[in-house]
Amino acid sequence: MSTETGWVGERSLFGHSLRRIILYAVLVGMGAFYLIPIETGIMTSIINPASYTGSFPYLPPLEPLVPNTGEFSLEPWQGAIDGLGQGLVNSVILVVPATILSGLLGSMAAFGLTTIDWRGQIGIYILFVAGIFIPYQAVLVPLTQFWYNVVPLQAAFQPLAALPFVESYHWKLVALIVTHTAYGLPICTLLFRAHYKKLSDEMVEAAQLDGASVATIYRRIILPLSIPMFAVVFIYQFTQIWNDLLFALTIIQFGDAAVVTQDLVGIGVSQSGTNFPLRMAAALLAALPTLLVYVFFGDKFAKGVAA
Amino acid sequence: MAELTLDGVTKVFTEDDGNEITAVDEVSVDIEDGEFLVLVGPSGCGKSTTLRMIAGLETITSGEIRLAGQRINEKPPAERDIAMVFQSYALYPHMTVRENMSFGLEESTDMAEAEIDETVEDTAELMEIEELLDRKPSELSGGQQQRVALGRAIVRAPEAFLMDEPLSNLDAKLRATMRTELQRIQNDLDVTTVYVTHDQTEAMTMGDRIAILDDGILQQVGTPLECYHTPNNRFVAGFIGDPSMNFFEMAVDDDTLVIDRFEYPLKPAQQEAVAGRSHVDFGIRPEDIRIKDPGGLSDNYQFEVTVDVVEPRGDENTIHLTFDRSVDDPVTFTATVSGLRDVSAGDEVIATFPPDSIHLFDTDTGVAVHNRTFDSEDATKQVL
Repeated sequence: MSTETGWVGERSLFGHSLRRIILYAVLVGMGAFYLIPIETGIMTSIINPASYTGSFPYLPPLEPLVPNTGEFSLEPWQGAIDGLGQGLVNSVILVVPATILSGLLGSMAAFGLTTIDWRGQIGIYILFVAGIFIPYQAVLVPLTQFWYNVVPLQAAFQPLAALPFVESYHWKLVALIVTHTAYGLPICTLLFRAHYKKLSDEMVEAAQLDGASVATIYRRIILPLSIPMFAVVFIYQFTQIWNDLLFALTIIQFGDAAVVTQDLVGIGVSQSGTNFPLRMAAALLAALPTLLVYVFFGDKFAKGVAA
Repeated sequence: MAELTLDGVTKVFTEDDGNEITAVDEVSVDIEDGEFLVLVGPSGCGKSTTLRMIAGLETITSGEIRLAGQRINEKPPAERDIAMVFQSYALYPHMTVRENMSFGLEESTDMAEAEIDETVEDTAELMEIEELLDRKPSELSGGQQQRVALGRAIVRAPEAFLMDEPLSNLDAKLRATMRTELQRIQNDLDVTTVYVTHDQTEAMTMGDRIAILDDGILQQVGTPLECYHTPNNRFVAGFIGDPSMNFFEMAVDDDTLVIDRFEYPLKPAQQEAVAGRSHVDFGIRPEDIRIKDPGGLSDNYQFEVTVDVVEPRGDENTIHLTFDRSVDDPVTFTATVSGLRDVSAGDEVIATFPPDSIHLFDTDTGVAVHNRTFDSEDATKQVL
């Protein structure tokens, strides 16, 4: 009896281990499939551009020890930092306020449309939902007209340019911040609304009976309970706005206010050919902030999605 | 601490398709200062809506609510000086017990921080939750959360307490303990309290008076014993008491009530009450029915019946009896007998319906036309 059980056990153990081997092989294969482009990018970005041509881009640069691998150099990264520095600063000036504003306003709007009861809120809410479906292409020309001809933002901004760290071209970034906040607001409101619908009505009523005003209920009850959702919205909006090129091209067009995605378009391209190591280093550098946001807010993001 | 008056309070909800639903219909009750009133009724009867109107969480369609003589219809909840305990406890999940309890004081009073701390700690001591002050609600058991919710209401020393089925999420044992404790606390604090429940046991045991609602309409307000022994109508008679009162729809034949299975002779006063009616509902409480072993009928109030089912409860047994077990549609009724009495299904017994214990109700309107003999003074004396 016991030997029989042992034999069955062994066979199943063998079956399991075979299945495991296949599983791990598939997982490793998929991992490699996803990671090779990034690995190639990193390897390319640390090759001396002069020795790049003819080398295998996915191998580490080990010349002159190993032939045809290129020579190690940090020159592409130096070039990327020099070339994108201004754009990175502009992007940070744009993304941080736009993300915080759209998150905060979205949360407030969702609170007003969900937790507080008033006549006509469904109509307003439908306008918000409709906002999600406005195609980008439809607003590009009106946006240019609006910021360059309708609103005298450039003139109104001039007195502020006298302040330290403020440049006169920053008005374009202000226009872009407002545009991104407005465009991100509907989806942020929708996300927060889904979260607030799950909060207990009785808890809000208890706060009302405790003497709290609408503003206090938001500040002391709703806001602290929204932190996981803020992580979701911040990551989403940060990535969206950081990676946006279309609105930047439309509103900033060119000049000192150009953001990192605009600078990335032209870097490493010249009459004499494409500087691939420089372009790779620049692409990695431009993607780094979004990666850092995921790393720092990832655990809260997971909580927010599960909430 | 103040008296609370509901004067013709009505709530009409308008549905999306324009249909109007009257949830609460002209409810008028005077609740004295320090009184414990239990609002009881089946689910959907409008008792929670009434409570929410007192709290200010629901608008009042018509009528008036007065607290300490002041009309409060238009006051927002924050300005009514009323504390409420919710069924779900509704604690603030991100705050500690201490923060939960001090929130109301911070928002509704000008008390200094030290004073708030002291008040919170005194109340926590009263509720025996001092050790829990620095914990979050998620770290507490259901019973502990219940205490915190009560503590949060008590700490504000409001004019009135409103409680919306506060014990219904507790297990049976804890519920019984909390019932007693709530009564003790309410007695000590002497704060006007309105307590909503669907559980008639809670209503009977806790209230100074109970108000019974059905379908938005107030059926009766009275002390528990008044409502139990002299119900205004058939609904109250059937709702209060467990097991429920037995009802038989009977034809009136001069001085006798008749139904297929039995006839019941009426006393002169009872005859007068049913005069001019062709039918009445005959009611008798299970504990008023006397059971004895077979051996001949000594008067017209006794009937030969058969035991159908026995539900033992220990202290007493509920037995289901039938006049004729063999027919498809037997007339059955329940009686409670001492737990020590040995009865089993199939036994033949004699049931007595004592004439001074019967209730008679109008068949159409349900209004009580005759109630059992009951003197509230006597009843109170017996209790004391």
